[in-house]
Amino acid sequence: MKLNVLLGVGALLAVFLPRSADCRPADADAAVATATGQRRLPLMLPRPLLLLHLGEEFSLRLGGGSAASSPSIPPSSSSSFSSSAVNVALLRLTQRLLQVRAEQQTRAEQQEEEKEKRSEEPPISLDLTFHLLREVLQMARAEQQAQQADSNRRMMDTAGK
Amino acid sequence: MSVALRAQLFLFLISLSSRMGLSRYIEDNEAADGLYSLLSLDQKRESDDFIFRRPLRCLDMLATDGYFTFVASRPQLACAAFIIAEPSEVISLELSDVNIDCSAGDFIKMFDGWVLKGEKFPSRQDHQLPLNQRYTDYCSSAAPGATSRSSQNVAMIFFRIHSPDSGFTLTVKKLHNPFPCNIMSQSPEGSFTMVMPHQRRNCSFSIIYPVEIRLTDLSLGQAISNELSPQRQVWTGCSGSGDYVELLGGNGVDTSMMFPIADLCFSLSGLAQMKIGCDNSVVRLVSSGNYINRVSFQYRLLEQRELPKTRENALDNFCSVE
Repeated sequence: MKLNVLLGVGALLAVFLPRSADCRPADADAAVATATGQRRLPLMLPRPLLLLHLGEEFSLRLGGGSAASSPSIPPSSSSSFSSSAVNVALLRLTQRLLQVRAEQQTRAEQQEEEKEKRSEEPPISLDLTFHLLREVLQMARAEQQAQQADSNRRMMDTAGK
Repeated sequence: MSVALRAQLFLFLISLSSRMGLSRYIEDNEAADGLYSLLSLDQKRESDDFIFRRPLRCLDMLATDGYFTFVASRPQLACAAFIIAEPSEVISLELSDVNIDCSAGDFIKMFDGWVLKGEKFPSRQDHQLPLNQRYTDYCSSAAPGATSRSSQNVAMIFFRIHSPDSGFTLTVKKLHNPFPCNIMSQSPEGSFTMVMPHQRRNCSFSIIYPVEIRLTDLSLGQAISNELSPQRQVWTGCSGSGDYVELLGGNGVDTSMMFPIADLCFSLSGLAQMKIGCDNSVVRLVSSGNYINRVSFQYRLLEQRELPKTRENALDNFCSVE
């Protein structure tokens, strides 16, 4: 009886445990991984800024609210070291963090655009008409058929030996 | 062992193997060798020596595997070789014996697709890589040889060589592609079936001839699960479910700059046909990734007398369609 229960539980676990993702060639995964990896790097920077800023604001608050770098503090919370002052500080910090992050992203996008422009120059292209392209394509196909016929003949010769 | 216990054990083992059922990667074991498989190992080794070789020209089109060597007899400043394969193949290019002077302005660039008159095939919307990643520059890459693998059955190489007797060797190999997307047809007549299994991609089949296209089978929207609600999708129209087939015509290779001629978004089992009198005729399958989509069509070349008449007051760039 116990063995039955154990086997049943084992079967349920095996079915409902998270499955591995469907198989894909390694190239696609590597490409995705590098793409996301590259995207993530620039966002690492703002964190030390955050901590520094937190320290600054706190010291300003403790010293009594006559600091020049905090112009938008509501008057009710500037006098005392209260929890609402901390909330306001945190709110402004997150705003500042989002702003920095947005700037970084636009900067990264601009860099990518520049890189794209640089790699596209000089814009190389042939001004072939479709007529010429079809002619060349037909020549290539004729060559391929001749090559295939030749290879077939060689194979039949080899098989006949 | 009792029968009940054996049954329990088998059930347990079967449920363990259910975790391995979701793999979709298809392995190709070179099953398409045909006559080749009849040869013994010795005979195969003999025939391997006959790999196709020929010189590469400044303007060239390659449709076979092999080694192609270019040697400049005089400064060649604008050369390109187009490479095309069968629809279900991709192209692997490799440079070797390269003898050029990058600092003097020589370059060799491999491109994943074709560029014609500034237009790129596949277009930016249809290709999965950004444009700068589709170019492989020999002079910029650190390794002594450069390789590139295309994502579809066409590829290109651009080169410029200033000094005589410089050159390189290009190795072309074809690899199998089980679900081809973005195909350039080699011939003006033929038939093809495009399948897009649960992938969010837009795929184009491009024919650089004026053709009459007949859609023989169109199956959009076999749902990912076994839900019994396919009737609803028929009425939402082409923009609803996000999966449809469009026919395009134009005078360039870039499908995003072509004119849509027809949209089809419900499955049909009869024939739908269209004469497209354009330099480039394209069948494009737009998939949202929710379904398995399949479209089958045939096409044949339109003779000069069969081309649709151009209308009066038509746009200059628009080609005639019937």
